[in-house]
Amino acid sequence: MLRLLLLAALAAGSTLAAAQAVPQWPTRPLRLVAPYAAGGPIDISARLLAAKLQESLGQPVVVENRPGAGGNIGVDLIAKGPADGYSLVMSAIATLAINPSLYPGLPYDPLKDLRHVTLLVQVPNVLVVNNDLPAKNVKDLIALAKQRPGKLDFGSGSSGSTGHLAGEMFKMMTGTYMVHIPYKGSAPALADMMGGRIHLMFDNLASALPSIRSEKVRALATTTLKRSSFLPELPTLDESGLKGFDMTTWWGVSVAVKTPDAVVERLSAEILKAMDAPDLKDRLRNMGSESPAIRTPEQFTAFVSAELKTYTELVKRSGAKAD
Amino acid sequence: MEGIFGNLAIGFVEVFKLQPVTMWGMTLQHVPFNIIMCLIGCLLGTLIGVLPGIGPVATIAMLLPVTFNLSPIAALIMLAGIYYGAQYGGSTTAILVNIPGESSSVVTCLDGYQMARQGRAGPALATAAIGSFFAGCVSTLVVAMFAPPLAEVALKFGPAEYFSLMVLGLVAAVVLAHGSLIKAIAMVILGLLLGLVGTDVNSGVLRFAFGISELADGIGFVTVAMGMFGICEIIANLEQKESREIFTSSVGKLMPSKEDWKRMIMPILRGTALGSALGILPGGGALLASFGAYTLEKKVSKYSHEFGKGAIEGVAAPESANNAGAQTSFIPLLTLGIPSNAVMALMIGAMMIQGIAPGPQVMTERPQLFWGMICSMWVGNLMLVILNLPLIGMWIKLLTVPYRYLYPSILLFMAIGVFSISNQPFDCFLMAVFGLLGYVCVKLGCEPAPLILGFILGPLMEENLRRAMLLSRGDPWVFISPSKPISMGFLIASVALLVIIAAPSLRKKREEVFVEET
Repeated sequence: MLRLLLLAALAAGSTLAAAQAVPQWPTRPLRLVAPYAAGGPIDISARLLAAKLQESLGQPVVVENRPGAGGNIGVDLIAKGPADGYSLVMSAIATLAINPSLYPGLPYDPLKDLRHVTLLVQVPNVLVVNNDLPAKNVKDLIALAKQRPGKLDFGSGSSGSTGHLAGEMFKMMTGTYMVHIPYKGSAPALADMMGGRIHLMFDNLASALPSIRSEKVRALATTTLKRSSFLPELPTLDESGLKGFDMTTWWGVSVAVKTPDAVVERLSAEILKAMDAPDLKDRLRNMGSESPAIRTPEQFTAFVSAELKTYTELVKRSGAKAD
Repeated sequence: MEGIFGNLAIGFVEVFKLQPVTMWGMTLQHVPFNIIMCLIGCLLGTLIGVLPGIGPVATIAMLLPVTFNLSPIAALIMLAGIYYGAQYGGSTTAILVNIPGESSSVVTCLDGYQMARQGRAGPALATAAIGSFFAGCVSTLVVAMFAPPLAEVALKFGPAEYFSLMVLGLVAAVVLAHGSLIKAIAMVILGLLLGLVGTDVNSGVLRFAFGISELADGIGFVTVAMGMFGICEIIANLEQKESREIFTSSVGKLMPSKEDWKRMIMPILRGTALGSALGILPGGGALLASFGAYTLEKKVSKYSHEFGKGAIEGVAAPESANNAGAQTSFIPLLTLGIPSNAVMALMIGAMMIQGIAPGPQVMTERPQLFWGMICSMWVGNLMLVILNLPLIGMWIKLLTVPYRYLYPSILLFMAIGVFSISNQPFDCFLMAVFGLLGYVCVKLGCEPAPLILGFILGPLMEENLRRAMLLSRGDPWVFISPSKPISMGFLIASVALLVIIAAPSLRKKREEVFVEET
């Protein structure tokens, strides 16, 4: 009898605890892992977001840089970490969609080990060319590439970056051949293009925009289906004859897969609230981001799985790999 | 010329501007806010420069969210202050305890630390501060007057030119050592090999990582430098019980003597010129400045036999060069919007968040910002020298702390510094391994400086070599083709330098043979 009572009390206690677990979250500081070195756009947006979340959650949100292996180390840390809602990671197109096919022994599965909370930033890529290149639009460029196969060089921030893969996609869709020249980051590639040593590159809008505006390089098209509000006069690749060409660089927040639903929902709501606040909205816009249309965790997860499929295919066909 | 003065006037007005500031609900009128931010930046920079391992990149990244609430000009003035302040502070630990916190202070260790061991830490620190100040002033003027044309020069540097420049740098690395030539070359090659660890840029394939994911991005510079210099020095010091007590008890004079002044003038001038020139090259230019300046001095100085044993020229020249390079590395950022190193990339981030697109239009659209920042650098350099000269007395006192208390604290700070870079305990172990390696090298009479230079230049050299070959579709003549006169010039200079280095030792060999025969 006593045992029964005790059991009942325990059961009551545990249901009580379960019921309270959610409204009580968070009761201690959160960590937000940025899997890249401090100072990059993903790190900066993590810090901007952390400052906002700190206010609304009433708990410190600590940004922790865990760079290495193309971001895989940091993401793996959270994928294998406690699913308590206190460990967050800035996940991105590289770690969720490209690396799984680029790195053969990826320690985590982007869909099975992670739960995707909110898409934070979506930045278009732009096709930019050297000012001296005779091509004034995408059609000219395709013609030029066909006329001089293997003579045009396209740069990118690194092997397996969105810039590289956009170039490979371009080659595939137009049936042209151009040589890929990888750099360490897009800034030196842009410099070499201004110096006339490479002909074109697909660069993140935010990093190319200053050079486009100061006419050091010429933009031919954006890689998104919709025109960018930063360069509304610039056509898209889709309009220029490459039907369905749609590539963006994106990043957001993910947590371990077993994180409770209620926590994910609350977190998503808080992040969306932060993103809709005018100051953060402005700052993310300054990074070249248009407010993403994808908002709920379900939409984000569906988006990740679609992107994963696209890039797995693209990486395989481009022959890029990290061993 | 008049244009320049007009622009500088705009800048100084901006720097010293009085503005109302609201803080904690109180509004104060007429606060010289920008100059206060400059001071804060310089102070912070000096502090993190002194702390081994904690570099300006991490500090600026952490402070970025704070700067978003400041005006763009105040934010940039402060961030720039942290950057060049760290260059000042970095030389302090290099001289006092043989720890190069920044890649540019590696060569300062060579003679600076030897001066400290001879009880001349004061003059060494003062020389570093004075040299840095002079170089900072001159190169700020260079930035103000010639930024746009110099940026065009920077654009002339492609993969082929960088590769040839690195070759010259590597040949010069051999001169860094004062012992055996063969050992120096062996250390350069070992450094090159260590630099290959990590992901290959072209194919993305992992090399020499042995399945350790922490090695995927290569070995960090700070890890190697702290191990090879800092830890190795501690082991070596602990080994000899008596002599280190002598070293710590003799403090000596604080200021350079008349003789010191005479000897430091020309090295400072040459260091400033070389640093300003190399600083404008994005991608390793500023890094080569301090190495190059040291090598140059060792070759031209009439005291070259003293190098590595506490020659004041060996502190004055590289310190001037690295500070000059730090200032002129703003040129590609301000005129082209291209960051020349990680700190500059952060500054771009800070500008973009503030809604400013970095690039040539900044100069015309926001002259207050552009010229204000340049003038703040000059004011900042003045602040730093005023700040640093009195601090020398305090730093020197640090050396009188008994070594048994000093070395555990140094170890602790190094471990914190290395850990803070990517929050990996692995890096601390790696640092210890390099400490042991450094100790073995010292015992074998091999010096670590050439290894470090090989380690830094190796990956850059390989990257540019392979990029140049990709662009030329595999034609090796691209490096000496008449269409690339800059590249050809560097390679010719490398060959000439090799001959100069090899000639005396060849002669000596011949003499030895001759002696044995008779």
